[in-house]
Amino acid sequence: MEEQAWADWIRERDDPKIARTKPEALDDITVLDLSYKSFAGCYCSSMLAEFGAEVLRVEPPEGDFLRTCTPYGILYKGEGLNYLSEGRNKFHITLNLEKPEARGILKGLAAQADVLIETFRPGVMDEWGLGYEELSKINPRLIFASITALGQFGPMSHSRMADYDNIIQARSANQYDTGEMLPEGKTYDECPWAVPTKAGPWIGWVVSGTFMAVGILAALHWREMTGEGQALDIASAESYASLEDWASVWYQGAGVINERFGNLNTGGWLYCFAPTKDGAVFLGGLRLEMWQAFADMLGKWDEWGAANWTDLAAFSEKEEQLKWAELVFAETRKYTNEELVSMAVEYGQKGRLAPITPVVAPVCSPDETMRDANWLDRGIFTPVEDPVYGEVTVAQAQYKMTETPARTKWVCRPVGYDNEHIYLKYMGFGPRKLKKLKEAGII
Amino acid sequence: MAESTWRNYKESKFSKPLPLKGIRVLEVCTLLLGPSGPGFLSRLGAEVIKCEMPPLGDTLRSLVPFGYFFKEQSTSLIRPNPNKYWIGLDLHKPEGQQVFRELAAKADIIEENLRPGVMERWNVGYRQIKEINPSIIYISKTGFGQWGQYAEENRPSNDGAAQGMSGYAWMSSFPGRPPLKSRLYICDSYGALMGEVAVLAALHYRDRTGKGQYIELSQSEAIMRAMSWVWPYQHITGKRAMPAGNRDVSLCPADTFRCADDTFLALAAPDPDEFRGLCIAMGRPELADDPRFKDHLTRLQEENATEILRIIAEWVRTKTAEEVEELAEKHGFTASRLYTIKDVVENEHFRERGFITEVDDPLLGPFLDYEFPVMMSKTPPRVRWSIRPVGFDNEYVMTHILGKSEDEIRQLYECGALGKWADVRGRRPPPDWDGKAGLIMTRD
Repeated sequence: MEEQAWADWIRERDDPKIARTKPEALDDITVLDLSYKSFAGCYCSSMLAEFGAEVLRVEPPEGDFLRTCTPYGILYKGEGLNYLSEGRNKFHITLNLEKPEARGILKGLAAQADVLIETFRPGVMDEWGLGYEELSKINPRLIFASITALGQFGPMSHSRMADYDNIIQARSANQYDTGEMLPEGKTYDECPWAVPTKAGPWIGWVVSGTFMAVGILAALHWREMTGEGQALDIASAESYASLEDWASVWYQGAGVINERFGNLNTGGWLYCFAPTKDGAVFLGGLRLEMWQAFADMLGKWDEWGAANWTDLAAFSEKEEQLKWAELVFAETRKYTNEELVSMAVEYGQKGRLAPITPVVAPVCSPDETMRDANWLDRGIFTPVEDPVYGEVTVAQAQYKMTETPARTKWVCRPVGYDNEHIYLKYMGFGPRKLKKLKEAGII
Repeated sequence: MAESTWRNYKESKFSKPLPLKGIRVLEVCTLLLGPSGPGFLSRLGAEVIKCEMPPLGDTLRSLVPFGYFFKEQSTSLIRPNPNKYWIGLDLHKPEGQQVFRELAAKADIIEENLRPGVMERWNVGYRQIKEINPSIIYISKTGFGQWGQYAEENRPSNDGAAQGMSGYAWMSSFPGRPPLKSRLYICDSYGALMGEVAVLAALHYRDRTGKGQYIELSQSEAIMRAMSWVWPYQHITGKRAMPAGNRDVSLCPADTFRCADDTFLALAAPDPDEFRGLCIAMGRPELADDPRFKDHLTRLQEENATEILRIIAEWVRTKTAEEVEELAEKHGFTASRLYTIKDVVENEHFRERGFITEVDDPLLGPFLDYEFPVMMSKTPPRVRWSIRPVGFDNEYVMTHILGKSEDEIRQLYECGALGKWADVRGRRPPPDWDGKAGLIMTRD
């Protein structure tokens, strides 16, 4: 019997369409998420909730401020759009930690939890008697994860400043050297867009939250081995800074401070966005043969002398990059995105250097992305049928896995939506007790 | 603030255990999306064996800023590859494949980022490896995943392709300007990080059940996952999400402003206390009660946001970054100058925490690296050693892990299954290498 093609074999086993029929990797884990004004914390607990962890999202009675952090102030059925995406799979309860009685309840929950995530200013949890040292006495297996702007220790940890995405980007050095170059002889007043530029929606917060998810899972593994919990500490600025991968060595070795280089790449050629007839494409050829293939694909093999090129490093010098970019862009402007992408696919089949071919990819607006048949087929934009919010498109968990695929079961919950169920399940509070706690402003 | 938990954290790092001690990882990875994942695990104490194609190895070995090599090494290779063992193994050869399978039988995790189907062609794909090691956790990281139209077309990918195709670059520019590529290889690094969430979730499941599994990750899909409001916004409003430059459209005020001396400052003051503090600092306390700015949702509306940001921009233009930072601390809002790479590397706070850490490497000499950014009180992650030439640890891995005899090792070299570095920059040892430093098992 002939073996089934790999793509078909694996799709049969990891297509998100069958995810719900499979077990969940973390369904033995309970997480208390006390995130306050922090997308990093919410995103972190989403990573765990997508794998089946029971996440108890603890908010103050009026709801987390993050719910109001939504583009242009838009609400959908009363919910901010960022929170709508990252409330996923979580149980939402309220607890007013300003009140001593609430802190007693929190201790009860912490005694039964595996992981606690918190994002208060350093010292706040300790002041409440809910710091790691206190809670680890109640539950030595607890993994206590703190995410803040600057961390729990170190000279700047006493800062009162909160943790916001744009501040993370500023402190990481990754905003300083991203952005368009100021055209020669121009000023910032003339070109207010040619300045250090922040990237993506909340990437600083996202990176911080994802690092913490990795830290928590590593700590869980160690706990499986030893039975011991521990405290984890992230300074968000460090998280995002740590993804930088050559400038710090360049600075140490050569004393160079990296500066903006627009849509080119200081770290190597060929690697840039190039303008086209109808937009822009990404061009990638980080091996000499791929750069040669690109020249060939444009019909420039002879004119540019591609056969005689021997070293790609020679092209990555600044002046060389600027010179070649001009030549390349003059060519790419003659074609549409679609034409250039097809040329590269075709070159990989029939070109002189095939199967070697350059990377050519369209630079898309996010609505083009959301309509792209490839991504739709792979399930990344399959809408969630939410019992409260109806059909909502959020990015689905992007991993495909054969045994324990991640999944999105619901998108969000209104404030305190799960109080009855969760307080009964963990604390034995029935309706009468809940009513009293509510009246006392505790829940 | 948990004083005793974190006391002497940096100093006592090496007297504590590592969280992934005893976990063995095999990587067949190049550039950044691939190697960065095992690079996170190696910082957490996993034993990572990096297999490269001899004699040139990882393509990343050629990539350097404007042609600058650090001691003849690729600057880019350092960050994703600490604490690894380096073998030069030709997987085109049956003998090389056999060595890989012997290692796979003793491994917990395999990570690869070749095009779909290549590992299988080399007889080391998931279907083949799970026969010899059913509890293996096997992750493939690519641009487009293992199936679907783009995977079928066998399209290659890079970080920049993912920044383009996901809409991420589109969302990172100023209005009316072309989409802007982040200077970070963010879809590589972030995709790799996401991949480890799945790998470690799978490890937890294996700890519970003994079962391994296969994971596929697309770097484009990984960055889409991170784009929060963009997708529900487009779905709910039917409109295309638009870029807004440095302004954060979900927080107000939050933007980057130009200071008196033409340097730049990021500022955020979205919550009520922060906003009031900012208004007081600006000498305009009445703005906090202005109906256009009275609460966050109102402030976020386009015309109100534009107006308050204009007011703040005018104010910051008269100040230095230091002045605003001080006022922020005093009045309880947040602000920071834009750090350069020098500011990060030399930052006292980052150094005191041990995030900026000195590595005393036998080949590269002492230099500063970044630590894994999660501080773990009982199991601190750490960088111990740095990058190595292609095939540098062949003898150690063959002898220590596989128990091969001298004769068997010689045969593997003779048939070309094992190999070492080419004598070119980025591949060979630093010029001042004495022929011994860093070698674990030397043979004269």
